[in-house]
Amino acid sequence: MTSAIVFPGMGPCDFTDVAKFMLVDRDARELLATASGALDYDLFARYRDSDSDYSEYAQVAFLVNCVALARWAERRVDLRPDLVAGPSFGGKAAAVYSGALDFAEAVRMTARLSRIETEYFAAEQRGVVTMSFVRTPQDRLREILAELDEAGEWYEISCYVDTDFWMVTLHERRIDWFAQRLRAGGGLPLYVMGPPLHAAAFQPLRDRVEAELFGSLHFTDPWIPVVADQDGTVRDTADGVRAMLLDGIVAPVRWPEVVDTFQRREVETVHVCGPDRLWGRVGATVRNFRTTIVDPRRAMSPIRRTVAA
Amino acid sequence: MWDQRFETIVRQHLPFLGPEEPLLDGTSLRDSGLDSLAMVELLATLESEYKVRFVDEAMSMETFATPKTLWSAMSDMLSAPA
Repeated sequence: MTSAIVFPGMGPCDFTDVAKFMLVDRDARELLATASGALDYDLFARYRDSDSDYSEYAQVAFLVNCVALARWAERRVDLRPDLVAGPSFGGKAAAVYSGALDFAEAVRMTARLSRIETEYFAAEQRGVVTMSFVRTPQDRLREILAELDEAGEWYEISCYVDTDFWMVTLHERRIDWFAQRLRAGGGLPLYVMGPPLHAAAFQPLRDRVEAELFGSLHFTDPWIPVVADQDGTVRDTADGVRAMLLDGIVAPVRWPEVVDTFQRREVETVHVCGPDRLWGRVGATVRNFRTTIVDPRRAMSPIRRTVAA
Repeated sequence: MWDQRFETIVRQHLPFLGPEEPLLDGTSLRDSGLDSLAMVELLATLESEYKVRFVDEAMSMETFATPKTLWSAMSDMLSAPA
């Protein structure tokens, strides 16, 4: 039976929901120690004391937990996936798990990338955010975006999650108006993320990340093929995975394309490994695959043992 | 006070609220396990069961804060002229 592992994009994640797993699970502890060593600070303490959902510490901790949960699944449920994917932030864990990027390097990359992004958006394209929303069919979205066009406002679709689920990047001065227009049609605004994500306008950021960060990273050919979140193409070379991560800065996530590739490859089961509230539950995933969620709550639940008669 | 159908539907979307625990006016739906996607599912179920449509102010996070705020929004929709 063909299966795929999916590392979720990052969403708000309460420290209390993952702290026990990070302290108790043997792989999480080992990876946490490696990450702290790579960063030269106590990641757990910094994460605990962090007050932002998307701080450098929260981002690295999310990566640690995703990889640790995949290892937990290998150990406990014999996870042996044929394909790997990681929408948005999940691409980092996908690169590690596929074998294309060493874990400690990915940790340093995540921390450094977070700092570059923070610096970049403090100086350039200030006030730009990414908003996620649901219950908005494509036709309705098109109408609202046409109103932005008419007003001469810049925006980009940053994430195609499902037929009625999107993320749009725009200026924060338009957020209230945008949310009101969504609600008028029965849409539900979910989160506003800063720094923003996945927009062609961020090409200068991509160039800077490539020049300052990616030059020192060493990618190798993955031993498990990676399905790129931008276009659903299968990447089986070091350069392919590297390009996937870099292009993620400027190209939108197209989850339905990943789903299409999974279907063409006859994937039946998708294991979502990470503190996920979206990718393993969205219709595009659960409509098409048997979906299991491997999150800290599951990993910390008592194991049911069957007693032989 | 809400009806039994509402109570049953809401409880189905609250994984952290035990069957013996009461659903009170001020019970935090979020703390009881209603995250964003559960909220979307709950919305769809309520719309289908009660033949209502959540739009405008009813589509805010505040509506889904507690059973009381949610039922209040529902009551407004149910009493509005068709």
